[in-house]
Amino acid sequence: MDKKKRIEALNEKAHAIEALAGGEMKSVEALEEGGMLKMPVGCTSIYDTGWETNPRATNPVGNCQPSSHDYLGCAGDCWWPAQNPDGMTNYLDLELTCSSIIRDWRDIK
Amino acid sequence: MLCEWIDHQLFAVKDGAVLFGVDQGSLFFIDELTRDALSRWNIRPTLELDDVPMADREILEGLRDARFLAPSGARHRLETPEFDIAAIPLSTMVLEVAQDCNLACSYCYAQGGSYGRAVRLLEPETARQAVRKLVDDSGDKETVTLVIFGGEPLLNMAAVTAAVEEAHNLSREKGKRVFVSLTTNGTLLNPDIIEFLHQKRIAVAVSLDGPADLHDANRPDLNGYGSYTTITGNLTGLLQGATAAVAARVTLTPEQWPRIEEVFFHLLELGFHEVGIAPVSPVRRELLPNAEQEEALLQGFSALSRIFLKAAQANRLLPFTNLIDLLARLHLGQTKSVSCGAGYGYLAVDTEGGFYVCHRLVGDESFRVGTLDEGADPAEIRRALDSLTCGKQEMCSSCWARTLCSGGCHYENHLRENQLGLAPGGSCDFIRRWFQLGIEVYAELRRSGADEFLQRLGKRVKC
Repeated sequence: MDKKKRIEALNEKAHAIEALAGGEMKSVEALEEGGMLKMPVGCTSIYDTGWETNPRATNPVGNCQPSSHDYLGCAGDCWWPAQNPDGMTNYLDLELTCSSIIRDWRDIK
Repeated sequence: MLCEWIDHQLFAVKDGAVLFGVDQGSLFFIDELTRDALSRWNIRPTLELDDVPMADREILEGLRDARFLAPSGARHRLETPEFDIAAIPLSTMVLEVAQDCNLACSYCYAQGGSYGRAVRLLEPETARQAVRKLVDDSGDKETVTLVIFGGEPLLNMAAVTAAVEEAHNLSREKGKRVFVSLTTNGTLLNPDIIEFLHQKRIAVAVSLDGPADLHDANRPDLNGYGSYTTITGNLTGLLQGATAAVAARVTLTPEQWPRIEEVFFHLLELGFHEVGIAPVSPVRRELLPNAEQEEALLQGFSALSRIFLKAAQANRLLPFTNLIDLLARLHLGQTKSVSCGAGYGYLAVDTEGGFYVCHRLVGDESFRVGTLDEGADPAEIRRALDSLTCGKQEMCSSCWARTLCSGGCHYENHLRENQLGLAPGGSCDFIRRWFQLGIEVYAELRRSGADEFLQRLGKRVKC
């Protein structure tokens, strides 16, 4: 029997405490070492392509996702929403108003 | 990591135990292995988790996640906050509309309704002023409660109707809900009054102590005749077409405690929506229970709790108010740093327009804390409350039930300690056993999957 079954939260306060403990474990998950390759989750405020490399066997192999959008001009399926406005739903005319994201980002409304 | 134990209390139940986190108000079920590991390790004040053998370490890690073990030296116990009384809005007012009564109950704490003062009725204009004060001082509270009380309030229908009318006008005007309840002995109810209570959606509590022989022994009229027949004759009309809950408010003397179950079901059969049972306050030394009587009271509550549990497992609510209120608080894990709202948003007003910290303490000058004209004085409220709780903190700090009870009823303590000269803590054992009973019933309900039922209960006390 695992420890979850050995100790069972009964009232709402106990459930809240349990959720708190679960949250504590998760807070270091993103950066922990070992196991499967984990990419940092979050966003960065600079366009410095370097260490956040593309882990998938897709182009550009070994390069980062944002840089691929710079090459291909597509932000539709971006997993990095903080850096690339999505061109499929919210910014349909992105390419017109903002042909170079680095230069024209102020034009994104 | 060096860890230390956080204050907890263990209650044995089927297949394991229930662990109560005293300061958090948390309730966990633990299995027998965990219970054994806990008893092996909690005799040490601190322990190094990494040095604990693997089998026990996993269990202790589970207890750490549940906040029963914490890094040593961290401050775990919450300091009792010092509330700023002036900043607390008024939320409940008990209005004594009549300091007079037509019954002569054997255990009355209000000296026949007068509270030891001259017999007096509240002026209708003062009743209106009191309700305005309640609404004006209620800050951002959306709902306030007005409790119409006495003596016997129906002796002064002029003030009752004035207060209710004012409450309705103000709730329309200010967009607040004024919830009105009224406690009566039920003898003066007539079709007009009943229609008024129904029409105004007033929650009524009728003081009725059980079957005729028992009730009449407690609650005779001024000529010594029993009041049971009169009251039950009036009940049919009150219960038929009721627009708000009609509760039976029961007071039992120690020699009547073995009859709790019989009393409860008698009142249910009469058609009451809720039944709350109060052991009598020892207004005289003869009303103090002995150990055997106290045991009978617990047995009675325990028997009713078992019946409640069976009904709850079939998703039926047995309207045993004492237990319902306790279970609702346990379900949420509510903790208290003060024993009740007296002085903290809860005040009583007597027929002279004086504020008191609690309706039970009306008439005693040391608990008078202001007037309707000048308002309640926060410094006076603080003084009155301090005089009631003085010295209690130290005694309570080692008690596992402190966050559930927080010192108990001010009035009961005042009676026992200041008027009867008894040592503090005389009712603590009973209170702890009552909480334990509640915790055991709660755990059994929870483990039998009565989640929806408990959620409904939780809504009763959520604020």
